[in-house]
Amino acid sequence: MLEYADLTAILPHRHPILQVDRVLEVEPGRRIVAIKAVTGTEPCFAGLAEGLPQSAYAYPPALIVESLGQAGAALWLLSARATGETPEGTLVFGAARDFEFLGAAYPGDVLRHEVVVESLKPNSAVMRGETWVGERRIAVVGSMLAVARPDTELAAGPTG
Amino acid sequence: MSRSFAAPLDAVDQVDPSADGITATKRIVATDPYLAGHYPGFPIYPGVFTVETVHQAARRAVEADRGPDVRVELAAVRSVRFKAPLLPGDVLTASCQLRDDPDDPHRVRVVADCRRGDGAATAKVTLELRVRPGATDA
Repeated sequence: MLEYADLTAILPHRHPILQVDRVLEVEPGRRIVAIKAVTGTEPCFAGLAEGLPQSAYAYPPALIVESLGQAGAALWLLSARATGETPEGTLVFGAARDFEFLGAAYPGDVLRHEVVVESLKPNSAVMRGETWVGERRIAVVGSMLAVARPDTELAAGPTG
Repeated sequence: MSRSFAAPLDAVDQVDPSADGITATKRIVATDPYLAGHYPGFPIYPGVFTVETVHQAARRAVEADRGPDVRVELAAVRSVRFKAPLLPGDVLTASCQLRDDPDDPHRVRVVADCRRGDGAATAKVTLELRVRPGATDA
């Protein structure tokens, strides 16, 4: 199991956009299970009008994508570390296909991401994944592409 | 202004109608919510925030078109490809084509060509919105 401090040593993201709290299981090169607790104190719940229905407090899909993507990034970097082939440059979110939102998460829920490797190359990784809240599957992604951009290209910064 | 749904940030400054949809603009500001951690000392507009810009702009357009008695949600990100970064000072322009799904009156497909002020393509995004009757929870 990897705790939050371990994740800060793996991912470049920091508060408040470090969107993974804990890794429950990891098989380098194969799969990861990671969780993120949703709480009403997160910035995305600031500034909402009074008297809104519960649906207004659904966790933003963009942050579910970010969280699942970061679980995938952690899987890739841990896989690379296990084989000694650290990607050169900075890891960025390159592309995704067929990200479907099947349900919602609310403050008090815990997102559980399960990400599986489709292919790993020295400077890119293709993964697919699912996000669960308890026994409910709330999101599924057909494929996500992460790429390592060389630092020369990064004079202009990573894309994702 | 207060929001009517949870969102990581106000991802749209302005929405204008276009021939086949809308054009949304968003100026990237280092003090935008969440950018302090993405990344410390080197703020970059996260890729998923470009998706959020397109989502918020299209949602606003569909709500304006269909009236107040609907609820619009993001159903799917069918595809997204990120091509170039957006940094503070850049202005994102998302040219969004909106098309009702011929097979499902409750779905709207949005294809967005996203560019920076210098004309560089930053992303291509295809979303599907779900339109539910009833502005409040059933």
